[in-house]
Amino acid sequence: MHSTVVRVQNVFGFFTSAAFAVAAAIAVSVLLIPQAPSASLELKNVQVVKGRPHYYSTKREEYAHVKFDLDADLTSLFNWNTKQIFLYITASYPSSSPSTIPPSEAVIWDAIIPADNAPLHPNTYVHPTPKGVKPPKNKKSKSTKRGKPYPEGGSPGIIKLNSQKPKYQITDVKGKIAERENATLTLHWNVQPYVGALVWDNRQTWGLWKGLKGGKSEVFSFPSLKGSETVKQADLKTETGGERNRGSPA
Amino acid sequence: MDALLDQARDIWEGEIDFRGQSLADNLTTFLLIASSVISVLVGFTTQDIYKTLYVGLGGTALTFLLVVPQWPYFNQKPEPWLPARVQKASAASRVDLGGVQIEVDGKRVG
Repeated sequence: MHSTVVRVQNVFGFFTSAAFAVAAAIAVSVLLIPQAPSASLELKNVQVVKGRPHYYSTKREEYAHVKFDLDADLTSLFNWNTKQIFLYITASYPSSSPSTIPPSEAVIWDAIIPADNAPLHPNTYVHPTPKGVKPPKNKKSKSTKRGKPYPEGGSPGIIKLNSQKPKYQITDVKGKIAERENATLTLHWNVQPYVGALVWDNRQTWGLWKGLKGGKSEVFSFPSLKGSETVKQADLKTETGGERNRGSPA
Repeated sequence: MDALLDQARDIWEGEIDFRGQSLADNLTTFLLIASSVISVLVGFTTQDIYKTLYVGLGGTALTFLLVVPQWPYFNQKPEPWLPARVQKASAASRVDLGGVQIEVDGKRVG
């Protein structure tokens, strides 16, 4: 500590240790904050039609188009160390021989829900305005132009979706998904913290963290294949997220 | 000109006395630990991680400001150098230290 340079080195060196200790304390502190997420997830409609994986494909596969209702309160997942949660819904159905092959899972919808203080990112989710609620009139500022990831008057983690279109149509490895039985929709998430570990959804109580209540649909079966002439194209539309421009040709 | 350069070099090098070095070390430890603890508490109670960041960085900046420059409180007890030796031609065996006496194990050596 006898000269300026040595003092700079010493202070900076100890600062790195202190910063690491602070980060560790933040990462552990989330265990002290109770969580009690709840969600109700229901199947609205499911249709199976033939389609192609991409325009130039000669392969014809069966695609399931699943619409759902989701009413979730995940506000308790947002604590001081939550940057965003990645929310996704999977359709899962048992394999042909459940004793040896695990069930198949396919994601039908997902969303990135940022905390209120997270930095702006174009990929984050914009919650649709629920039916019966007038969209707010804003003629004045640009800042209110982009919608929020939760309905009007809510907070991050509130999701109210009615008859929501899927983001992804799903198929099986074999290309056949019609008439598969015992399928369920399940809500999942990743909590992405500012500092610390990525946390998956859980259904068991663990310390102060209660498991997810609900978040699983009733068992359903994929219907039989419908001819393309009997299904309106408008019914098979998918939702696009904020990431729609990712990977598309310039 | 030389005097000016010497002064500039003294400020740049910022040398402090032994008590000052001990004080600077203790100040660093105390201030950084205190600002870390305060930043975590402030952030946790207000549930705002940005407050933790800014309080922590602010405390670190304050520590740098208080510890790094050559503040007068680091030079309260300067240790003076011994006077320069001036050898006398008559007493070659004895070194004249200009009145300063040096004892080693009770035996006078200088």
